[in-house]
Amino acid sequence: MAYSVNISIEAPVENQIQEITFDGQEIYQTPLSMSESLAKLAQKIDFSKTGYEELKRETEAIDNGAEEENASKDNFQSSIWPWDSVRNKLRSAYTETCVLADVLAIAKEKRYLVLDPVQQEQHDSKSMTSIYARKKALAGAGSVLLTGAERLRASQTEAARNRAVPDFHIELLRLRQNWRLKKVSNTIIGDLSYRTAGSKFAQTGMFEVTKAEEESDRPNSPPPSPGANAKPASALRVSVPSELQGVAYIEVLCSQKDQEDLCSASINLQHSNVTTYGADVHWQQRLESAQNVLFCKELFNQLAKEAVQLHAPIPHMVVGNQIMASTFPGIQLIIKLRHSTGEGEKKAGHKSDHDHVLEHSLHQLLREVHHKNTHHPFPHPSSAPLGPSKRRALAGPTAADRYTLLEMTQSETLLEQIIKQAQHFFTRMRTEFVLDSIVKEVKDPLIVTHWNALNSPTLSCVKINIITHGYDTVCRTSLVIQVGEKMLKCVCRDGKVMHMSYEPQELRDLIYCQIYQHQIQAVQSLAKCMGWHYLANSSHLGIGAVEPLGNACSCILASPMGDRLIAVRCEPQGGVLVSIAHSPKKDFFSGQLVKERKWENLGGGFKEVRWDKMEGKNFLNKMELLMASLTSS
Amino acid sequence: MESKDWGSMSQLVTTPLEQITTALNIIPNQEYLLQGSVLDNAVEVLLHRLRGLCDNVDTSPEPFYDHEMCFTIMSMESGTQPQPLSLRVRRATDYPDMPFQLRYIGVPEGTGNNARPTIVRSSIDIGTSSTIVEFLTELGCRLDFEYVARGYMFRKGRMKITVSKIFKLNNNGKPPDATEPISQSYLVELSVLAPSGQDAIAEDMRNFAEQLRPLVVLDKIDVKRIPMSMS
Repeated sequence: MAYSVNISIEAPVENQIQEITFDGQEIYQTPLSMSESLAKLAQKIDFSKTGYEELKRETEAIDNGAEEENASKDNFQSSIWPWDSVRNKLRSAYTETCVLADVLAIAKEKRYLVLDPVQQEQHDSKSMTSIYARKKALAGAGSVLLTGAERLRASQTEAARNRAVPDFHIELLRLRQNWRLKKVSNTIIGDLSYRTAGSKFAQTGMFEVTKAEEESDRPNSPPPSPGANAKPASALRVSVPSELQGVAYIEVLCSQKDQEDLCSASINLQHSNVTTYGADVHWQQRLESAQNVLFCKELFNQLAKEAVQLHAPIPHMVVGNQIMASTFPGIQLIIKLRHSTGEGEKKAGHKSDHDHVLEHSLHQLLREVHHKNTHHPFPHPSSAPLGPSKRRALAGPTAADRYTLLEMTQSETLLEQIIKQAQHFFTRMRTEFVLDSIVKEVKDPLIVTHWNALNSPTLSCVKINIITHGYDTVCRTSLVIQVGEKMLKCVCRDGKVMHMSYEPQELRDLIYCQIYQHQIQAVQSLAKCMGWHYLANSSHLGIGAVEPLGNACSCILASPMGDRLIAVRCEPQGGVLVSIAHSPKKDFFSGQLVKERKWENLGGGFKEVRWDKMEGKNFLNKMELLMASLTSS
Repeated sequence: MESKDWGSMSQLVTTPLEQITTALNIIPNQEYLLQGSVLDNAVEVLLHRLRGLCDNVDTSPEPFYDHEMCFTIMSMESGTQPQPLSLRVRRATDYPDMPFQLRYIGVPEGTGNNARPTIVRSSIDIGTSSTIVEFLTELGCRLDFEYVARGYMFRKGRMKITVSKIFKLNNNGKPPDATEPISQSYLVELSVLAPSGQDAIAEDMRNFAEQLRPLVVLDKIDVKRIPMSMS
């Protein structure tokens, strides 16, 4: 200590860097004032580590320094006293060193005080107690873990045993994935209505979800058959309001007036056995059927409302669960809401005339209404108001007139649309029937009908080809018949358009007329091939017996030489008449009136051919043979 | 329907003013509005959220591409200071057959006090033909500014939500091309047109805006108080 060298330490000239900014500029700390640097240095002193001598020296030095400082800073001591802690520490350290020095001085003399090593056996006992404490704590923790594990194992075995019993919450989760649920206080309420899909039906479709009771009610019920046992019971029970229970569907019948007794008999089937099947059906099926009931009710409700409001020439009738609407004279469209809460009784009830297509159409129509309720067109430009359709938006700028505006407000009701579809169904069916029967009746020209696969619910189309077997390249008559709701429209090859009513007789007349026209035309084109000349034809012959349907057709052909004539007459009733004439005749006998042979060139004197005795497979074939024989002879 | 009104109006010459005042109670002439903006990189998330929240989840969002021109004219009412009156003409660039839309937007109310949940401003709009621009110019209106808005719109009941990007038109370029975006963000607007006095809808709008909360903050924006750093 005596050789200690004084080392003078100075603060670096440069200030410390506080921050380097992103562009590399260095921001320096402001240099410390004298007092601040002193305080900083003083705080670096570790009093507990310094030795006694140094401490003493330093304290003296610092004391001196401090006294000098004190003198200089006396005037603001009262307010700020940064040296307080330093002074306190120094003072206590000083006191301790004094006491220690005294003790050491006394102990040196060994008269009053002897220094002896102290046995530290209580430390051992302490370690033993801590070991015990640790042991105990570990044992406690272990027991907690063990009981936890035991409980887990127990619950696991429980779960393994009850694997078949489904969990309520899992079922609820599944229910939630497909149905709208919400919690109202302590109950779970679901909604199966179509309101979110655009329905405006007033009836709510609320159902309640509860947890199924445990096996308590099982012993009461008769033991299920072994086959039924396989069906797992659900932990979830769904209670549907009674008016939505059961199975419902819309029945659509198209009936003649005289068959009415068949329909009215089948009404009192409902409520025969009530709700025997309830709880044991899976909730998904129950909800689905309840939703279907709701849908059918909405549909029927809508149709009934429209039936009452609609002003038809023959008013539609709504009686109980039945709507009767007239389509054609004598044919009624009957729409019924069938709602049965029991199973099995209706299958025996009636073999149905039920029209599945029309039922499906009804469903489709209502869904379209729903869709339209939710899918409004977006406005363009985007600042335009929501709601009006494109036609409405254009009505103002294009100055639409009153008629157009009124037209915009009108829309077809569901009932009108379904009546139209039913009418179309009937018209189509009748057309089919008429065509088929004609095809069966008429063998000679072949009639081929081809129904277009693409059609709409109220419009379909049939193409009819009339050809003769073996001569289909010679002549072919084709026409298209558009089958609408209450009328038919026939478009011929030559562009003629004919409108017909729904009466099947009109179509029949038309087709027969076309058949005979085809025969005449075929004969003409055949004559061209054979080198014969055709002199005259008439598709609507004004002479001869009056036909009940249509008119007779006729044509006259001349042989290449001009000496033979064939006259053909087709009439719907009598069939085909063919006559031939020779001019001049081979043998001439001058009489009183016809004196010269030249007058025989005028022709005349047709003789009828016995057509049924002619050779040939069909009319054209016979004609061909006839012409050939007349040419050659 | 409308034509019936016209007919009666011509018959009763004294009452058209009364009829207009009664009609004003039915015409939706108040626009309830909340606005916000979202950065370009976050707009996909917002669109996704809106698709889930709005009507018709099954359909894809409806795009729009509008061109808006704002015209101003000094209203010279006697005895008052001449004030600029601005009229907006908007057309759908992607639907050329749809009518133009002429629109007057009033002074927004409800920006100051917190009692109102949304901005309410009077809004009168009408479909017009494409000659409206010439018509306004002939009237003495002057083209103040124009822009192109392009984005998507959604419906939720009566609410209309538009998420659009605003483009500046370059010098006299035709709207489909020659555009550049004004900012790196999308404008989000939630608006309802309703007859005056239907303040209940404003609460619904507020609730809906809450559901979009962290993605976009829709609020009452007072255009006049925004510091105009751009200009």
